[in-house]
Amino acid sequence: MSRTLWHFLIALLYLFLLAPILVVVIVSFDTRQYLAFPPESLSFGSYAKVFANQTFISAFGRSVMIGLAVGLAAVVIGTLLSMALVRYRFRGREGVNFLILAPFLVPHIVLAVGIMLVLAPMQLLDSYTGIILAHLGITVPYTVRTITMSLMSVDRRVEEAAMVHGATPFAVFRRITLPLIAPGLIAGGVIAFLISFDEATISLFIVSVKVSTLPTEIYNYLEVSTDPQIAALSVLLIAVSIVVVIAVEKLIGLRRAL
Amino acid sequence: MSGAAAPAQQMTGSNRYMLLILLVPGLLALMTTFLLPMVWLARASFSTSSMSAFGGGVTLEHYHAALTDPFYWKVAMNTLSLGVTVSFFAVILSYPIALFLTRSTSRWRGVLTALAVAPLLTSAVVRTYGWMVILGDRGVINSTLQSLSLTTDPVRLSNNTFGATVALVEILMPYAILAMLAGFGRLNPQLEEAASMLGASKLRVFWRIILPLSLPGILTGALLVFVLAISAFVTPRLMGGGRVFVLGTEVFQEATVTLNWPLAAALSVVLLALFSSVIVIYQRALRRLEA
Amino acid sequence: MSEHHVVVENLVKTYPGAATPSVDHVSFALPKGEMLALLGPSGCGKTTILRMIAGLIEPTSGAIQLNGREISQTPVHKRNMGMVFQAYALFPHMTVAGNVAFGLEMRGVPNSERGPKVQRALDMVKLGHLGDRRVTQLSGGQQQRCAIARSLVIEPELLLLDEPLSNLDAKLRDEMRDEIREIQSRTGVTAIFVTHDQDEALSMADRLAVMSAGRIEQIGTPREIFDAPANEFVAGFIGAGNFLSGRVTAPGQAEIEGLGPLRFAAPASVGSRVQLMVRPHRFKLAAPGPNAFTGQVESLVYRGQILTLAITVGGRRLTADLHTHAGTLPAKGDTVTLAVAPGDVTFLSEAAA
Repeated sequence: MSRTLWHFLIALLYLFLLAPILVVVIVSFDTRQYLAFPPESLSFGSYAKVFANQTFISAFGRSVMIGLAVGLAAVVIGTLLSMALVRYRFRGREGVNFLILAPFLVPHIVLAVGIMLVLAPMQLLDSYTGIILAHLGITVPYTVRTITMSLMSVDRRVEEAAMVHGATPFAVFRRITLPLIAPGLIAGGVIAFLISFDEATISLFIVSVKVSTLPTEIYNYLEVSTDPQIAALSVLLIAVSIVVVIAVEKLIGLRRAL
Repeated sequence: MSGAAAPAQQMTGSNRYMLLILLVPGLLALMTTFLLPMVWLARASFSTSSMSAFGGGVTLEHYHAALTDPFYWKVAMNTLSLGVTVSFFAVILSYPIALFLTRSTSRWRGVLTALAVAPLLTSAVVRTYGWMVILGDRGVINSTLQSLSLTTDPVRLSNNTFGATVALVEILMPYAILAMLAGFGRLNPQLEEAASMLGASKLRVFWRIILPLSLPGILTGALLVFVLAISAFVTPRLMGGGRVFVLGTEVFQEATVTLNWPLAAALSVVLLALFSSVIVIYQRALRRLEA
Repeated sequence: MSEHHVVVENLVKTYPGAATPSVDHVSFALPKGEMLALLGPSGCGKTTILRMIAGLIEPTSGAIQLNGREISQTPVHKRNMGMVFQAYALFPHMTVAGNVAFGLEMRGVPNSERGPKVQRALDMVKLGHLGDRRVTQLSGGQQQRCAIARSLVIEPELLLLDEPLSNLDAKLRDEMRDEIREIQSRTGVTAIFVTHDQDEALSMADRLAVMSAGRIEQIGTPREIFDAPANEFVAGFIGAGNFLSGRVTAPGQAEIEGLGPLRFAAPASVGSRVQLMVRPHRFKLAAPGPNAFTGQVESLVYRGQILTLAITVGGRRLTADLHTHAGTLPAKGDTVTLAVAPGDVTFLSEAAA
């Protein structure tokens, strides 16, 4: 196979991989009220509509809030767990490790049914607490991974140097350890935010009206209509993703984080 | 907080207290979001009461329903065939990209790698919508065909299994690429050079060196895509237009529409069993491959 | 004991699961302002001692006193010590000045006093102009200086140095060696440093403790250690030596296997077996006679001022370091005679036959 042909094939595959995103961006600028391709004329009409749509705006706000809460909680929990796993040898360590990875090993839809069954009797369905808890389970594995990686690369001698020169254990953590693991911390938090922000499967089981998120609103909308408003909305979601992707890539490298 | 020269912390009293502080919040969170749900799920699947996991007595009727109803057999078959088709095509299409990224020495390699795995971080709902735009009756492909006068009526590309398959292939490809990139560590360009210098043609180098060495990565990618495909429901539901019935869509239907939670739980357990057996088979295969 | 600034008594460290202790009943004391070197092969426990003094490892048993105060239960951050780590362990996310200021900050020194102190410490190690640099931008030697400044700015009771020169290349090592010594004597800080390099230990320390397998084999001034090693291990570890064992045939004379009689200046009972040693530089070229050995030159290494040669005598090798200004130098294959004065023969040990 010649080199050009090979590169052409790769280009085609990339086109396939990125096609839905590209198409969504193009359609979002279409002037018409219904879904069609290619656009006849371009405008920001769909965007204007999205910004006027109270349902979407408030869902966006809720998604951001839920995402921030999930990101923050996942980082705190992830940091504590990583400190335990990296810095201590204790009985049951393997068990803890397994428990952290286990949500990776169970399909989200199965997890969703289980979480729904747990939350229902506690009256937590369609509540902020419920959805944040649900998202925590699937995001903590990511924060543990990125923070553990950062923590393992911290030179223990540097922390010892701080101790010897007068830092209390807490000062060592705040002044030395924390700044050194910050990239992993932020990357993990940002990924956790994005997973929560984009998550539809589990959310659809947990939320209905009160705390519907942007993805669940889009899903519900798509079950009846596919007009370009959704495209404009999708572009906003994609923009959030791009910001996150760039941030993670700059902080610790995308491949190491996923 | 002493004892750093030894690789492990020695368990003194204050250390144990510290460890507890570190572990408890995380374990509580994982307990409520993973361990409890799994137990509740198992219990609910035997429950006689339709909306609660622990109300009512114990019954096998939901498993009976799930395992004897021909409809659910068909759903299970649909799920398996969707999983097989999607993972086959996702692997075929991901392999060249992963191979390209592994062997590339271009300075764009980092950007191209990010571009290949970044779709993972865009919402599956958004990308499914993208495929609705591409494959819809007035979508990219049909309007192109019509403007070229190749067809007059739109070709049915969505609201069916075909649409669901195409969309799932694309949506799950980044997972396959990621798994392959991780698994291609043994692909050393020097091996290829050595083989070429020993007189192997490019094609033979591929068959004899590259493919066997990349097989574990391919297998991992295929497994990952398969297990994600059989548990998907957003994409099959939206791309299938309500005409594609797989375990995922049925679990969702029972849980949120019909509100038959025990049946939803029983179907989830069936799905989980399918999922686990595939992983076990994969591990056997991988062990044989490495032996 | 009060005249000693640092006293270590019967210090023991046994790691859980280990059959033998890593540090085995180590005791020493050092007066204020003195520099002690802990010297030994890797794994001899020298770093473990240093880390126990710093408080980074808890001793299994034993006492550590600083200024007459027992400190083995004092937490690390309250011991008021400075430490220079092997790979410097600078805080990578801080500037040079930030690193140096850290200890002062932890001690609650107000900002206004910190600045001048940091500047003085940096000037002392000739980094006065680099305070704003990130430590990752420093060369190896500069990092070393920064680490020294960081550990001295807090005016520690005791300065600990863990293999401080091992990460530097040879030329820089000599330079830093003199500089550390100079800074230490100028500030008058009491210091303990760990090294496996005998040259370093001999040239820097006021006294050195030679260690092996968790124990101190000998402690003394460089001169005592070099000229009067307590045993074969110390003699072999510090400097080169020709080890000669034999039987005492008359007071002050032993019959060395394969060589013949050798006179030495130490009391040993007739009939016992003795272990003797001759440092290579104690041999002189001479005419055949008593206390002299004649053999063929087997190898020659010319090292500027010194010529190291090895001769074979009766199947044994003897090495000698000769000054190159000593007239005509032998060539390979020549037959030469090496002589040693009885007073220059080191007596190591005696055992009943």
